[in-house]
Amino acid sequence: MEDIENMEEDEYGFSRNYFLAKELGGASKRSAHKLSDIHIVDEQELRETAIEMKHAKEISELMSDYKTMYSKWVFELRCGFGLLMYGFGSKKALIEDFASASLTEYSVIVINGYLPSVNLKQVLLALAELLSELLKCKRKSSGSLSKGQETFPSRSIDDILSFLHGPQSEDKDCFICLVVHNIDGPALRDPESQQTLARLASCSHIRIVASIDHVNSPLLWDKKMVHKQFNWLWHHVPTFAPYNVEGVFFPLVLAQGSTAQTAKTAAIVLQSLTPNAQNVFKILAEYQLSHPDEDGMPTDDLYSASRSRFFVSSQVTLNSHLTEFKDHELVKTKRNSDGQECLNIPLSSDALRQLLLDLNQ
Amino acid sequence: MAPSGTAPSGTVADPPPSSTTDSFNPGDTAESDIRPFFVLHKASSSGSNLNGKLTGTGKSKRRIESPSPKISKRSEVERVEEEDGQFFSTLRFKVFETVWSKIEKTIEDVLRNSNSKVFSGIHDWIRESFESIISSGALKLSEAVRSYPVLTQASSKQLLTAMVLTRNLEMVDDLLTFEELELHLKSQGCHVAKLSSMDFSAKSGVGGCLSGLLRQFVMPTIDVADVTILASWYRESKNHENPVVIIVDDTERCCGPVLSDLILILSEWAVKVPIFLIMGVSTAHDAPRKILSVNALQRLCATRFTLSSPAERMDAVLKAVFLKPCSGFTVSHKVALFMRSYFLCQDGTLTSFVRTLKIACLQHFSLEPLSIMLEHLCHDGVNQLSGEGTGLLTEATMKHAFDLPSVMRNKITRSTFEMLPHFLMDLQRMPNPWSIVVLCIYEAGKFDKLRLLDIFCEILDPEARYLKYFSPSEIVNSQSHNSGSNNVIRRVLRKLRDLSPSQLSSMLKSWENLTTEFSEINDKVMELHPFMRSVEAAGQRQGLPNSPKKHASRSHAKLEKELKAMTDKVATVIEFMLREYMKPVESVPFHEILCFKNVDKLQSALLGDQRGRIQLDLLESHKILHCVCCSQRGTTLLPSMHDTSILYTLAQEHADVINLHDWYQSFKTILIPKSSKAKQKSKSSSKSKKRKDICEEPEAPAEALIQARFCRAIMELQIAGLIRMPSKRRPDFVQRVAFGS
Repeated sequence: MEDIENMEEDEYGFSRNYFLAKELGGASKRSAHKLSDIHIVDEQELRETAIEMKHAKEISELMSDYKTMYSKWVFELRCGFGLLMYGFGSKKALIEDFASASLTEYSVIVINGYLPSVNLKQVLLALAELLSELLKCKRKSSGSLSKGQETFPSRSIDDILSFLHGPQSEDKDCFICLVVHNIDGPALRDPESQQTLARLASCSHIRIVASIDHVNSPLLWDKKMVHKQFNWLWHHVPTFAPYNVEGVFFPLVLAQGSTAQTAKTAAIVLQSLTPNAQNVFKILAEYQLSHPDEDGMPTDDLYSASRSRFFVSSQVTLNSHLTEFKDHELVKTKRNSDGQECLNIPLSSDALRQLLLDLNQ
Repeated sequence: MAPSGTAPSGTVADPPPSSTTDSFNPGDTAESDIRPFFVLHKASSSGSNLNGKLTGTGKSKRRIESPSPKISKRSEVERVEEEDGQFFSTLRFKVFETVWSKIEKTIEDVLRNSNSKVFSGIHDWIRESFESIISSGALKLSEAVRSYPVLTQASSKQLLTAMVLTRNLEMVDDLLTFEELELHLKSQGCHVAKLSSMDFSAKSGVGGCLSGLLRQFVMPTIDVADVTILASWYRESKNHENPVVIIVDDTERCCGPVLSDLILILSEWAVKVPIFLIMGVSTAHDAPRKILSVNALQRLCATRFTLSSPAERMDAVLKAVFLKPCSGFTVSHKVALFMRSYFLCQDGTLTSFVRTLKIACLQHFSLEPLSIMLEHLCHDGVNQLSGEGTGLLTEATMKHAFDLPSVMRNKITRSTFEMLPHFLMDLQRMPNPWSIVVLCIYEAGKFDKLRLLDIFCEILDPEARYLKYFSPSEIVNSQSHNSGSNNVIRRVLRKLRDLSPSQLSSMLKSWENLTTEFSEINDKVMELHPFMRSVEAAGQRQGLPNSPKKHASRSHAKLEKELKAMTDKVATVIEFMLREYMKPVESVPFHEILCFKNVDKLQSALLGDQRGRIQLDLLESHKILHCVCCSQRGTTLLPSMHDTSILYTLAQEHADVINLHDWYQSFKTILIPKSSKAKQKSKSSSKSKKRKDICEEPEAPAEALIQARFCRAIMELQIAGLIRMPSKRRPDFVQRVAFGS
């Protein structure tokens, strides 16, 4: 009974806060100050300014407090649960320290979910290869000979998952640990990735340690995923450590129309693509630099240019590259005055030149 | 907590102090940070370690005898501690495995039993229909030369369907049910394939689920969607001797058109391949009407089945795990209350209840060193405990055992050392009179539709003094129906006087069965029989036909009297049971060994409050960091606080949108110590943006630093999802997203 009352109280508090905030917004007139009233320093400077960490001593004490829990965490992993770390501050260093200090008996793969693109199939392949290596080792030590080289790349995701979900040996302790930084990150936020991760987490040979930062991230999972697949144990581990890597892909609020940043993020995205895709992008970028006045490069022209240099073999492959570009907002389409579909990179010429330099390095 | 220095203390062994990657270096991003994924490390020195692990299962002592060279370098004391810790952690894991697998198996059995009736019903239906199809099919074979008669065509295209109502909107609980059904039907010789809503996606269409079917029936590598393959497979060798069953477990979540297409296709082939469709529906039996097309609906020839409700299953699980001999593990009153409110208010699925139980069990093993005794309790009895082989009753263990609160409370001293096994025996006594009493009350409460969950929670309360506040016979006789309290036992007693003779008699029978193994209670129950007989006799007399009116009223009065005597007597028996045996586990010494009590730990592990906690982290950062500087701040903001923390506290003063300029200015005011504020103010009010006079030079870096810190704090709030960034329409404002927890 008490619980229900408490819950109602909480909810009441929540709605009260919400309406108070709304009321405040309506009653007093909104401030008319503009951001441009502030003398904003150059973005490059903003980015490069070294920020001293406050409370470094307390934070490192906090971290050593968490160290005493490592053994408990290992115990929980062995019992078949997944660990979900939340609380304010970057948990990347904490989790990796935990993995390298306490999970030495198990192989560990790390996914950086805060990056704009992660290919889960490749992760699955890597996991499968690690596991087959492990099983081979075991078979050797237990005497029976391994038969046949197993190759995974040709297999479908379902096949790999069912391999990872193979029957456990008697000691029940043969698993690979998967660390996912920011399982709520931009690359993993879509339902399909979450489904794949959930199925992966439920595999008998996999244990998962993940971190979340966004307040709404629990909404990514339905009950089946929470209870049957991820099987989370929540751990509140605020670290107050700066989000150095996680924040790279966020724009600075005081720097509108930034060039350096977008070029940098674009370069990172491009580097994760295949060389052919990169080359197609380069053709487009060069065209845009040499024709600054046009709306963009017509798709057909891009196709013939790419095909003549053997970067694509068909319209289909080109389209798949273009979809990739569009997904990461590297390319925008619009129609020019002739009604032709044109491709345009939403970057300034300077940024584009910088990007080409980065890519050619 | 156990005193430090004892071997099996609180948490397990300390982590090796090696490899302390210094927590944070805010330098450049490492290469591994921008790779989508990478292998951190592989399992250490695979060969030797794995060997150790393989041979070391269950014989953890071996690991202690051959410590790795790294450990042997350290001091002797440390080594012993580490080894002990490792020994106990390995053992703990082993015992947890044993205990949990026992509980898990019990639950599985209970669920299987609760479904078995429906399962066999479904199988009978399949058998009967299949036989009738075969018998009529034999006729058709003789007519095979001709085209199908027009009249029979309609019926031959019918697809026999079972609608299984799960009575639970949450699909999670029924995933297992349908897996069990699949196994059950397979064991009976049917060809079974199971599809879920994932297979019926609009994306892959009907082809996707057809090839899924073929993969399950014909061979796993098949990749085409062609029903003729199914038909020819069915004609092969002996396949056609058995029916083909397709289970769709969550019909409501399937893509309607795709499912309709599949039904149409399969029904076209119904003559050649007799297919039985089993559809799990969670809302109502007629749910398919909402998702299927009319054509598809016409092809279905449906039969209804209904599974037991989650509450019924819940009671069955509770009974098997806590009230019948199972693992010995149990939970305290507070934990039970929490689990109940979590089940009733938050989740409502049995799956989550089981998961909660597993977390409780896990926490128990990681918090309570003596929990490892559970294994011996549930297996071989207590005699084993003092045996040399186990090495459990060490000095340290004993010290811990006698430091348990329940032991201190009961003033059991070390002089009664030898009594430990005796006490443990008491804890584990089966049949446990306490659980018998609970079950008896449950039986009596069934007439009032009382749930075992409620009874269980109330009766675990160690504070309750049932007989202090009321006397059962008084309640039975009192006239007022609503005495306000929700006390279960009160309700049971009050219901008692409304029971009919037949209900009383069935209750008596079940009590008799429950108490057979415990003679003290059984004797008392047996004493009720004469009263029951006279009630029955009075009832028969009243029921005699053609008796004169006067006589009838007299016999009615007689019956009333007998009934009253009976209920009084039952109340006395209940009183006796409560007085003698109602001793909740928490009042027994040494109960900490089997009883999990830490409700806070359970709650925080089960229900992470991401939204609330992250805001609290920011608003009360000093409580987590334990820093001296910010702890005494009161309500003022100090520059020494964490930047994001300052910014978020400031945000609380704003409405649902925050003006960036104002926010920045107030942030700056906090950061700049008072002495230099005047200067800053004059500077910020100057409108000239690009002016870079030499006199302002020394302050410029501070401004840049403040802006950089402001940007980073905002970025961190954005990562946490607490604010939404400025839009094109409203470039100078950010929006607050979270309001309180």
